[in-house]
Amino acid sequence: MFEIFSSLLKYIFISVIYLFIFAIIRMIYLDIYSMNARRSGQNLPYIKLINRRDSLEMKVEESYILDNNLTIGRAMGNRITIADPFLSGQHAVFDISDGSCSLKDLGSTNGTFVNGKKLENAPVVLNDGDRIRIGQLDFIYVAGLEVQK
Amino acid sequence: MRVLKYPRPVEMIVLVNAIGFGLLFFYKKPYDYFILIAGLSVILLVGFGYFAIRKAKLGDGYLFLISGMLSSIGIIMLYRLDRELGFKQIVWFGISIAAFFASYFLYRRYQVWERLTCYYPAISLFLFVATLLFGRSINGAKNWIFIGKFSIQPSECIKIIFVFFIAAFFNKYKEEFKELTALRFKKEDIKLYILMSGAYMHLGLMVIQKEWGTALLLFLVYFMLVYVLINNRLFMLINAGMASLGGIGGILFVSHIKVRVDTWLNPWKDIAGKGYQITQSLFAIGSGGFFGTGIGLGRPDFIPEVNTDFIFSAICEEMGIFGGVAIVLLYFILAYRGFKIALYTVENFTKTLALGLTLLFGFQTFIIVGGVIKLIPLTGITLPFISYGGSSLIVSFIALGILQAISAGPAAYVTRKEKLDGESK
Repeated sequence: MFEIFSSLLKYIFISVIYLFIFAIIRMIYLDIYSMNARRSGQNLPYIKLINRRDSLEMKVEESYILDNNLTIGRAMGNRITIADPFLSGQHAVFDISDGSCSLKDLGSTNGTFVNGKKLENAPVVLNDGDRIRIGQLDFIYVAGLEVQK
Repeated sequence: MRVLKYPRPVEMIVLVNAIGFGLLFFYKKPYDYFILIAGLSVILLVGFGYFAIRKAKLGDGYLFLISGMLSSIGIIMLYRLDRELGFKQIVWFGISIAAFFASYFLYRRYQVWERLTCYYPAISLFLFVATLLFGRSINGAKNWIFIGKFSIQPSECIKIIFVFFIAAFFNKYKEEFKELTALRFKKEDIKLYILMSGAYMHLGLMVIQKEWGTALLLFLVYFMLVYVLINNRLFMLINAGMASLGGIGGILFVSHIKVRVDTWLNPWKDIAGKGYQITQSLFAIGSGGFFGTGIGLGRPDFIPEVNTDFIFSAICEEMGIFGGVAIVLLYFILAYRGFKIALYTVENFTKTLALGLTLLFGFQTFIIVGGVIKLIPLTGITLPFISYGGSSLIVSFIALGILQAISAGPAAYVTRKEKLDGESK
């Protein structure tokens, strides 16, 4: 009885180990893929971090590619999540429409600043080279080719 | 909508343990319910470690999963070979996970590691002298210290101290080492030879303890680090010359090594005697076939030292060559993660340290797996994370904890571009 069990389950056992390896390699693939996307996504608008990253306590990427309805905040479930204690749970939202990118504050505690000016409730259209301050972080907005034309 | 959900790695580990320990439960009558408890505790330990790393955001998420998978397979195999050893290994696994988190927090908490350059060889020497004075010999090598009922193997700790020493030394003289590219001997080269003597002192300690495998492992790690970090061909040539002199000398004058090389070249000449270990290992691997005999259906008990050095042969027999290749693949991914952590670290010291620890895992696996499949002469060291042995498992997890700590460092996630910018300045 045990012999039958064991000789059948050995196939499942080995398949499970290979599924594990597959799952990890898939994650590694996604990792590398997102690295490439960041590098090749030059014609999309993005924000670039100005702060020195080793001075920051939390994990922040060097740049984030912007997209429609892209929320940024401290809570999980935002499109961009940064564990900065000065960020609100849902802090601000980027929007791309009619070839221009706009930023809107979502009622955050510490506010969102574009070129030093605090945002009100209305969305503000971003221009190439604008400085965005969110929490402790300073970003520079870089309009991609698609937005410029 | 996605119909097929991608599997999560941690679920796979749970499934492997469930299948493995379920089979072991039915393996022998009378049924021992304790096996199910043992399996459950392995699942809980891996799950606890995984969720602790995820919830507290302690850096790289894969390192612990991969090593957890390797340890799970090892524990299942050890339980099948010998229930008492399997149970002990689970206890060691629990202690190792504690050591993993302890080394993580200690490494992050104290920033002194790169300044202790001269202390590392001193600690190694101290451990060595302690082994000589209080040690007892098991299997011909005097390298065990008994504290009460427990026995520890200080030479395992020396491996990590050795990597720390090299990393600290390189960090201290990194400016000097950058200039040393000429093929001639210069006065400044003297620092290199200090490093060399420090490294060879560690090798010498291992040779005196008759741990040839560990000596080889340390040399390979040292040689690779020198290759990566110092651009000096003369120094490389001298090191390679010393190594080949040592190797040839060992083959000619040390009977132990001579036997190992002879059995590697032709084990069939003396199957009953000197070639017994390696031939039994080859028979076991051969009888497994593609998918193996199935857990509990092979006869790995014919292989000597099956719990420690030859556990890879036992895995190949019962889980087949596919199982064996899976183990090697798991070490591949582990080494990949280690190299990635090393690449993405900016600081000189942590970079060298991450690289050295990864090389330690990689070469240790290569030496022992290559040994049991008769690719290279056999030297007795453990297979990291799988072999039975408290010291080996704990030290492997301590090294992994340090890698984990490096991966979580605030400066660890700098992209390649920034790093290149930094270097060109």
